Amino acid sequence: MPRSTLAGMPPGWPDPPVARALGRPRAGRWPGAAARRPAGLGAALAWSALLALAGCGDAPPPLAPPAQAGALPGADSVRGRQRIAEYGCVSCHQIPGIRGAGARVGPPLRHLASRAYLGGVLANTPANLVRWLRDPPAIAPHTAMPDVGLSEADARDIAAYLLTLR
Amino acid sequence: MKPWMRTAGITLGATAVAGGAAALGLVYSGWYDSSATNPHTPPVNYVLDIALQRSVTVRAADVDVPPLDDPQRAIDGFKLFRAHCVQCHGAPGVAPEPFARGLMPAPAALVDTARHWPASEIYWVIRYGAKMTGMPAWQYRISDDDIWNVVAFMKVLPTLSVADYRAWDSRHAGGSAPSPPPVTPAAELRVGDAEAGRKAMQQYLCITCHAIPGVVGANRHVGPPLQGIARQQYIAGILPNTPDNMVRWLRDPTAIDPDSAMPDLDVSEQDARDMAAYLYTLDDAK
Repeated sequence: MPRSTLAGMPPGWPDPPVARALGRPRAGRWPGAAARRPAGLGAALAWSALLALAGCGDAPPPLAPPAQAGALPGADSVRGRQRIAEYGCVSCHQIPGIRGAGARVGPPLRHLASRAYLGGVLANTPANLVRWLRDPPAIAPHTAMPDVGLSEADARDIAAYLLTLR
Repeated sequence: MKPWMRTAGITLGATAVAGGAAALGLVYSGWYDSSATNPHTPPVNYVLDIALQRSVTVRAADVDVPPLDDPQRAIDGFKLFRAHCVQCHGAPGVAPEPFARGLMPAPAALVDTARHWPASEIYWVIRYGAKMTGMPAWQYRISDDDIWNVVAFMKVLPTLSVADYRAWDSRHAGGSAPSPPPVTPAAELRVGDAEAGRKAMQQYLCITCHAIPGVVGANRHVGPPLQGIARQQYIAGILPNTPDNMVRWLRDPTAIDPDSAMPDLDVSEQDARDMAAYLYTLDDAK
């Protein structure tokens, strides 16, 4: 199954949240989601129909929106991307934008910013993500993910990159 | 009227009549499966999802949202949440009741709802419900102010760990009710059946938290996506990924990791085997 295909949907159909976002344009919501999908006829029809229906007012934000990239002041996602490569995160995780062997020791990190929980146990907030990266066993004693000795600054940079993966 | 217009009119009319007759025939023949164990076809699911979202968005556009950050509001909302919502929607580490697991569509994980729906629309859905979803309207049973209290609690919900939720439970509403004992089917166990497992993914509400290739509507990201899970070395970061461990994990995640947000859903041994069989078909790790 191609990676752009959502469960059971033919490629080219925007998934409903994307269509929803398109119906009421929202800054910073699902960036790139549309670009990753082939622009099929179904998508084109659905989009034009939704755009025709869309109102003009500002869309209200979600009640408790997922963290935005840039939520960590001073952290640099470009530097974070380099740190991810240096620390060999890809030896266990698939990470979009990072070259690697496609390892599947732990879960893939695609959509990490959209994920509600980290390690299945921790609410996915920017601060918690930094805590988790710095010392996973301190939070989940049985986790296979090791403490790799990240500094606070490196952890913040890496978190900033991971929070771009929506 | 010119002859070509007459021909065009007759052709269009005949086509419309034939199309309508075919549609009626399809409906009346019982071709469409209305059971809750077979999901809608993907195009039908897609159209219904958009219809629901647009219907709510348009109708909730003029709702005025009161301030929701008063802690007392969230506490009052939690009491209602515990009395009326958790039974179908579950909570961190708390599974929906058995009756809720057979609903089609599956009741949403409200952590995900809070993260993606605006306050006005959540209020609207609680107040008015949603046709053909099992979501009841609370308008006649709960005051408007109390509905907003529930919304206020839902704003807090995504920040709560399992331990936090339990703390709310003991602090604000007494101990939690015991879960019913799991029912063990008398039938002989068979080897896992991937197709049966795919259906079970709906019935145990896996789809409200995980993106699962090949399962209609499974596109949320509360937990990790399951594409390529067959090739992943660890389950939940702690268990080596063997078929036996997968069945153990599916049957009782909290026995293996008490902090896991994935709840014990009373999965039977057979259903766990079937789901594991399906998960092991997901070997495309790209």
